[in-house]
Amino acid sequence: MRLGFTRFIKILFSSFFIQTSWSFFSMQGMGFLFTLVSGAEKNQRDKIRKTHKGFFNTHPYMSSYIIGATIRAYDEGKSSPEKIKRFITITQTSFASAGDILFWQTIRPALLLMAAILSIKLGIIGPIIFIVVYNIFHLYHRIKGINDGYNKGWDVIYLLKSKRFTKVQHIFEILGAFFCGLLISLAALKINYLLLIPLTLLFTVLLIKRFWSMLIIITVILLLIIMVMV
Amino acid sequence: MNAILLSIIGAAILLDKYAFGEFGISQPIVSGTIIGALFGDIHTGIFLGAIFQLIFLGGLPIGRDIPPDGQAAGVIGCGSYFLLGTSNSAEYSLFLAVIFALLGAIIGGVLEIHTRRYNEKLHHIFMRKEHYLYLCHLSGLVTALMRTLCIFLPIFILSNIITIPAVFPQMNREILLIIGISIGLANAIFLFIKRTTIIYMVLGGLCGLALLVL
Repeated sequence: MRLGFTRFIKILFSSFFIQTSWSFFSMQGMGFLFTLVSGAEKNQRDKIRKTHKGFFNTHPYMSSYIIGATIRAYDEGKSSPEKIKRFITITQTSFASAGDILFWQTIRPALLLMAAILSIKLGIIGPIIFIVVYNIFHLYHRIKGINDGYNKGWDVIYLLKSKRFTKVQHIFEILGAFFCGLLISLAALKINYLLLIPLTLLFTVLLIKRFWSMLIIITVILLLIIMVMV
Repeated sequence: MNAILLSIIGAAILLDKYAFGEFGISQPIVSGTIIGALFGDIHTGIFLGAIFQLIFLGGLPIGRDIPPDGQAAGVIGCGSYFLLGTSNSAEYSLFLAVIFALLGAIIGGVLEIHTRRYNEKLHHIFMRKEHYLYLCHLSGLVTALMRTLCIFLPIFILSNIITIPAVFPQMNREILLIIGISIGLANAIFLFIKRTTIIYMVLGGLCGLALLVL
């Protein structure tokens, strides 16, 4: 069973819009349906539109795996809509958690940290490296996700144990920690290093406690105090 | 550059945040570079983008969680710095640009909730009229554009016309760098430091110190 190039491109392009109509009620529900309908065979579209009207939420890049597997299930025509819905319910949370940890919590901040250091030291090379490297991983999961989802069907969930998730996450955790230490090289020798230590401690505590608004207010107050002192 | 044109360009860049693709173009480090290039001062754009990136590195958009809008802050910070710079000195402009950016991040987070409520209405329309799927879904692009225009337009227009009085505090790049590095470090510690990775942080720190001395 093959997906075909035209359908693959349709699914890939429409999956870029999966979060366009994100709402608290159905989250990515409409985006998921939009992608499914775009990639499905014409005779299946009405059935899909009626079945998958509700809630859907996963990591946007990981949605490709679920979309690929769902389209295969409709192409085969062996599974009932209820069974397909149950598969989607189970897989969306697993892929959401894997994607959030892999991309939002590891790859993206590690690469952004590297890009920030490189940009301040070397200029435009930082943002260019970030965009290129980040999108290699991003598009790899989007493209491979559709293909693997379609080829493996319901077994796609076992991919969560594969090296593309576990190994990559481990490597970027190490890189992130390394860049965290390297961040110190951004400071010029003439600035007051003693300021960095209490400020970093204060901001770390605020972040751990998730006081984001407080962090912004304290930043403004500190800016004012430091400027008066200088 | 015109404030309205900059708002439209900024809103188009910010579509990358949720509405289309998420390629990373809306990250402050990239948007800062783009805005810097538009104003003909790419190095300042990159510097400001990198600082705002470090400040908003730890905002994780997981599930229903909506952190302050770091991407909007990046566009506002860089855009308003250049707009303010047309009639004010760099030190005054930098301080006000940072304040505008932090304010924009908070407003952006609040407006994000309203945008999602509007999208909810679009979903209800779709539930009643199934054949409107494409129209209802892609209308999300309009709500996303409107959200960012609502933040950018007033701030950029204000930045374009305002003349900062001499009593206003001044700010140089070093102060911004200290704040940026300390929040960046805090964000990185929050995200990456575990018992298994702490050795790599020490290693990075040693490399950083060696780079400084050299």
